[in-house]
Amino acid sequence: MALRTILRAPAAVRPLLIQPRALYHSYEHNEPPPYRDAESAILSSALAHVPLHGFTEEALSLGAKEAGYLDISSNLFPKGAFDLVTYHLVTQRLGLKDRIQFHDEKIGVGRKVRSLVLERLRANVDAGVVGRWQEALALMSLGENIPRSLKELSGLSDEIWFLAGDMSVDTSWYTKRATLAGIYAATEIYQTTDQSTEFRDTEQFLDRRLEESRVAGSAVGNTLEWIGFQGGAMVNLMRSKGARI
Amino acid sequence: MSPSLPARARLGPFASQLRARCSNNAVPGRTIISSSASPATEPAPDSLDKPQGSRRKPLSAAQKQFLDRALRVNQAGELAATLIYTAQAPPINKAHPHLRPLMKHMYDQEAGHFKYFNEILAKHRIRPTAMYPMWSAAATVLGWSTGVLGREAAMACTEAVETEIGEHYNGQVRELLGWVEGMEARGEEVGEELQGLVKQIRRIRDEELEHLDHAVENDAKQANPYELLTGVIRVGCRGAIWVSEKV
Repeated sequence: MALRTILRAPAAVRPLLIQPRALYHSYEHNEPPPYRDAESAILSSALAHVPLHGFTEEALSLGAKEAGYLDISSNLFPKGAFDLVTYHLVTQRLGLKDRIQFHDEKIGVGRKVRSLVLERLRANVDAGVVGRWQEALALMSLGENIPRSLKELSGLSDEIWFLAGDMSVDTSWYTKRATLAGIYAATEIYQTTDQSTEFRDTEQFLDRRLEESRVAGSAVGNTLEWIGFQGGAMVNLMRSKGARI
Repeated sequence: MSPSLPARARLGPFASQLRARCSNNAVPGRTIISSSASPATEPAPDSLDKPQGSRRKPLSAAQKQFLDRALRVNQAGELAATLIYTAQAPPINKAHPHLRPLMKHMYDQEAGHFKYFNEILAKHRIRPTAMYPMWSAAATVLGWSTGVLGREAAMACTEAVETEIGEHYNGQVRELLGWVEGMEARGEEVGEELQGLVKQIRRIRDEELEHLDHAVENDAKQANPYELLTGVIRVGCRGAIWVSEKV
């Protein structure tokens, strides 16, 4: 017992460790909604004030008022504006599956991932938060908020791979999620500064990043395959010479 | 804890493990459950054979966590098993050509199990173990080295691995059957997913135990040093199960 206490990660680091996320996803019943009714009413109407007031306490209290709650109700959210950011992230992540449907079975996983990322970025535009997203990024990068932000980013990455129909359950499960999380974060930052019509530059930026990761990934894969093949050939050669291995 | 057990089981350094073996109840907070009880004594709820609709009531958080961990360990175990047989086959087949059909039969079954758990993990969005490359390397080295040591050592390795894995699956089957019984008693439907899972894990458990019998028939006990070899492999298996549950 004492050993277990010593070996346990310090409290400050614990949220950074791999968290058991959606354990055992079942198809037979729906997951409970992430927010209670009152919370979701306040936060969703607060989100409508973000384009004007930004991700601030003010938007939160205006939202509470509009949803028919007292001003003080914004005390429900101890992290203030950051709770507004997470609400947007969580609802958009869960809503992604309803925004896009793949009817053509022949589309490859890579193309599906691209469409899903673009759709998720379009959700930022539709919610009208793109102009204020740098504030949200600033909030997300505060020390105390980083674990939650990273968790949400990895959750989104996992969701995209799942919706794209990726079936890999080996080490590439980790590398794929990490790579996509990096690409998504970079593209989202790019989107906040994009001045082009219909965010065409963002699309091209995303395509370049995806192409880079594809090239790097296939180079690593080819090298590993080559090493494996050479190793196998060497063992077979020695066996054919009569070595008892 | 019954007093009829030998003192070693009550007081020795492995007392907690022996206790866990004797009781098939999952202790809260620990999910490694293995059971050496005979499959013939396990409960046989009726709803396993009836066609099931989909279950409306969500599983509890603890049940989901159990499935998450157990299925991750199962996939890692089958990965290791396929690699052990792959690495064992060439030296064994060369030295004892009559064992070729048996090795192929066992490999094919393990490959089928591995494929099943891969699909289940992807379907239920369960994270594979982060130690994947490590287990691959360890299993290949284990299979190859016991294969080179000879037929008896290879069979002793199979025996040790299949004993641990068999008991591990056995514990899982008992735990899941316990859930099914509980659901029946509360009048809830079991659901297709859980029903399929219990049936498949039970089938896989039976096949693993069949491999164990094959290993013993092929002189696993003649391996030298038998105790050391199987002891080390079994401790290694248990450690790997413990780690794979977590990461």
